[in-house]
Amino acid sequence: MSTATLALLTLALPASAALVLAVVPILRTKGWPAATLAVLSAFLSFGCALGVLSRCLADPTPEVLAVPWLRTSNAVLAEVGVRVDGVVASMLVVVTLVALCVQVFSIGYMHDEPRPAFGRYFAYHALFLLSMNVLVVAPNLLQLFVGWELVGVTSYLLIGFYYRKPSAARAALKAFWVTKFADMGFLAGLLTLFAASGKFAWDARLAPGAATAVTMLLFLAVVGKSAQFPLHVWLPDAMEGPTPVSALLHAATMVAAGVFLVVRADPLFAQAEATRTVMLALGAATALFAACLALVQTDIKKVLAYSTCSQLGYMIAALGAGSMLAGFFHLTTHAFFKALLFLAAGSAIHAVHSNEIGEMGGLARRMPVTGAAFVIGALALAGVPGFSGFFSKDLVLEAVEGKLAGVPWAALLVTAFLTAFYMGRVVVVAFLGAPSGAKAEHAREPGWSMRGPLVVLAALAAGTGLFTASFAHLYGREYHFEMGVGPSIAAALALAGFGAAFAVFGRRGASLPRVLGLVDRLARASAVDRFYEFGYRRVAVTVAGGLGWLDRYVVDGLINLLGYEALEAGERSRAVQTGFAPDYLLAAMLGVVGLAAWGVLR
Amino acid sequence: MSLSSCLLLSAALFSVGVYGLLARRHLVAILLSIELMANAANVAFVAFGRFHGGTLGQTFTVFAIALTVAEVAVGLALAMLLFRRHGDTALAVATETKG
Repeated sequence: MSTATLALLTLALPASAALVLAVVPILRTKGWPAATLAVLSAFLSFGCALGVLSRCLADPTPEVLAVPWLRTSNAVLAEVGVRVDGVVASMLVVVTLVALCVQVFSIGYMHDEPRPAFGRYFAYHALFLLSMNVLVVAPNLLQLFVGWELVGVTSYLLIGFYYRKPSAARAALKAFWVTKFADMGFLAGLLTLFAASGKFAWDARLAPGAATAVTMLLFLAVVGKSAQFPLHVWLPDAMEGPTPVSALLHAATMVAAGVFLVVRADPLFAQAEATRTVMLALGAATALFAACLALVQTDIKKVLAYSTCSQLGYMIAALGAGSMLAGFFHLTTHAFFKALLFLAAGSAIHAVHSNEIGEMGGLARRMPVTGAAFVIGALALAGVPGFSGFFSKDLVLEAVEGKLAGVPWAALLVTAFLTAFYMGRVVVVAFLGAPSGAKAEHAREPGWSMRGPLVVLAALAAGTGLFTASFAHLYGREYHFEMGVGPSIAAALALAGFGAAFAVFGRRGASLPRVLGLVDRLARASAVDRFYEFGYRRVAVTVAGGLGWLDRYVVDGLINLLGYEALEAGERSRAVQTGFAPDYLLAAMLGVVGLAAWGVLR
Repeated sequence: MSLSSCLLLSAALFSVGVYGLLARRHLVAILLSIELMANAANVAFVAFGRFHGGTLGQTFTVFAIALTVAEVAVGLALAMLLFRRHGDTALAVATETKG
């Protein structure tokens, strides 16, 4: 079996699971068959993805298996199929592995749901895995766009999983609208690319102006999908979905699709220096901004959501600096440790029945596996030496160093400190110290299906850094680690951040010190949400109201006037019909006289 | 007798018919007026036929008389219905066609 066929199997397995679950309702309503089918397909997909990766490590030449899709009379506009190279292989493994872990975790987490909801949940998961794999293996940007939209739909379905809850339904719509707005950029970019090169390939040579236009439009889609400022507003709201969904879609894989797109379209982006500069600036700004917002959240999932925005900012900044390796490696490590953090948080939420870190406290003693997993995730996220986040963050910092007068580099270093600080806060408040209430006191470790994925992901979050060199090799690059000045500063900042968090929150619990209260107020005042709210309520609704008035009174009025005039004309002309026969005779005679006169005088 | 005196007679008959048609108020009288107008036309046909030299005018008149008979039959039937419905043959009582 060729490598591409193996990659095709990673599509076919979740596709068949999703199809069967879609057409056979009984499998969904019973619950367990759906879960079994979804987890089994994810497991087999993961096996295939591992096979693809091992072959790609041995022979990194790209392999394509595709059939013509859009034909004109004399040319093929686009192909659909599978393309396998180093990037695809590693991304496939990340996606299928995290999906498998999350699905297994969900068995325990969603256990108390009614059976039909349980089945529906796993049907959505199978659909998501298919969509994500369609995106990953795409041989051209058009198929990538198809996958891109499909993951958007599954994201909508899963955020709105508790659709009876108004806030969840709202959050789902919001996520869909915001990303849909950004996706217009993708579509416009695709069309511009097609107009300029006649293909949907990402390695087209373009004129400088066209390259800038195409990449800017594509970057708009990236900003939406990867929740960069100012389109980040949907991601914190997306936390309304079940926690494992947040781990898979809104931390590890789907939001990283934007980064994946830039990595894929690297040849295009390399032709547009202006776009890269914008990416670098916006990525660094988002990283810092979102980290500040993460500081003041009290909902554990919101902290992680803003942290995800912030880390995606790191990746975008690295890509903007031109280092695909750094951006993509940070994507990989982030997928593992952020999925781990979300699942550990989910385990804590499952035990405490609350999202507020103020209502947790002392969980590490009651739930040692969850606590250890969360701490490992936090250390990896903060970039403590030895953990995976350290290596990838170091690559990012190295890539942006010296760009744009060093401002993004400094911003990312400050972010590194803040990251350690807010993660330290969550660890101290929620997992150490004393239980803050009865809920936290009676927290118990969850069952094996939830602990198992935590252990696997914890191992990956801790150890992925060891494979940095082979990862670089897969990407056709060399990597040697040196503990130089940059890594030392980053490591020192991470440790300082944890130290500061322990010092500040060790005694006072979840309450914010005055300085952070100020940040909180600033964050609320400057909320981009308000801007959109204003744009919606004031601008859009006013414009819509005006247009409605125009439609009701001008357009409809014109039509009504025509109808009214016709009626009036009839009303006036009925006087002609007097009902008195001699009048008709007179009219007939006058007609005759008229005709005669016409005949004579003609 | 010249053609013009015949046509003069025809025009006179027709004018009397028109006057009757517009001035009379009862359906029977109006039917009579219509008969007068039709016969004015017949006189003109016959006169033209006579002075043109041929039988076409007379043939046409025979047909026209047959038509007039049919018309009178319908007209009288209408008058009878009008009388049954309203107890009168004055056209003023029949206002069903008022718009």
